[in-house]
Amino acid sequence: MLSRVARPALRAGAAAAAIPARTPPNAATYATLREIEGRLKSIRNIEKITNTMKIVASTKLTRAQRAMNESRKYGETSQEVFESAETKPLEAEGKKTLYIVCSSDKGLCGGIHSGLSRFMRRHLGPGHQPADLVLIGEKSRAQLSRTNGKDIVLSFAGVGKDVPTFADAQAIADQVVQLPTEYSDIKIVYNKFINATAYEATMAEAFSEEAFANSPNFSAFEVDEELLGNLREYSLANSLYWALAEGHACEISARRNAMDNASKNAGEMINKYQILFNRTRQAVITGELVEIITGATASEDM
Amino acid sequence: MHYNRYLAVAARAVRRSLKDDKRVAAERRGEMDLRFAKWENGKMGEPKNLAEVNASTASESANSA
Repeated sequence: MLSRVARPALRAGAAAAAIPARTPPNAATYATLREIEGRLKSIRNIEKITNTMKIVASTKLTRAQRAMNESRKYGETSQEVFESAETKPLEAEGKKTLYIVCSSDKGLCGGIHSGLSRFMRRHLGPGHQPADLVLIGEKSRAQLSRTNGKDIVLSFAGVGKDVPTFADAQAIADQVVQLPTEYSDIKIVYNKFINATAYEATMAEAFSEEAFANSPNFSAFEVDEELLGNLREYSLANSLYWALAEGHACEISARRNAMDNASKNAGEMINKYQILFNRTRQAVITGELVEIITGATASEDM
Repeated sequence: MHYNRYLAVAARAVRRSLKDDKRVAAERRGEMDLRFAKWENGKMGEPKNLAEVNASTASESANSA
């Protein structure tokens, strides 16, 4: 009777005693070996991911560069009018300047968004002239809303999923034109594509109607006054399209480089951990052999 | 009606009148999926879909005209 009642308790006691006994005596070395293995695995997975992202970016890069070269024609052609008219930005008389910052929604591409934000902050500086900001892309919005939140009038999101289309640029230009404030001039801030590894934050001008009407060679064009507004809107859309496409190409190439570097670093880490892993494993084996041999010799002597 | 809206509407009409094989490629160039938000005094307003807002303002101006 007693034995039957005591049995479950006995069993539980036996089980409790068995658990600590099962763990090996040199648990520390085994644990580090397993830890290194786990870390190696996760680094390998990360390398796979960054490598894939690099390949994706490489294939997108050719498309983005083609779009950039095509869009450059839009920008250059629309700037040609202003160049031959020798248009200069008007001296600001109490009117604000509008800055349009072209970044995108996506990260993981090095410092190209923060480069734009830094450029804007340096340009606006402390005690700057009153200016308003239009931000395209979540990244610049997140960065510039911290320091220049008061100056922002519009922000756009949903850019950077694909190559920007002219419809995007038109819609943005349309919203910008509808802003209630009148601006002395509009400046577009974007990343200029120098080569596959270098890019630079640059500003492009989009002139206002008065600036164009006051340009020295204006009379050569014989334009009706009422068409100037249309020209201004259209040239703004052209310049925006150019800036967006060039910024997109920069972003993709920057992402390719960033992912290339990440894969390289992961490769280095894998090598380092592989060596460490092998060494630790050998050390563990040697330790076990020493234990066995000492045990054997000790029992022989007895 | 702003000039860029006028252009966008005209471009859409041209794209839709193309033949089927060309139209698919052309309509992809006309896609626009932007959201925008107005800011006041450092506060972000409600994000809105740009295409929907444009469509509603266009129909409003058409009704009032």
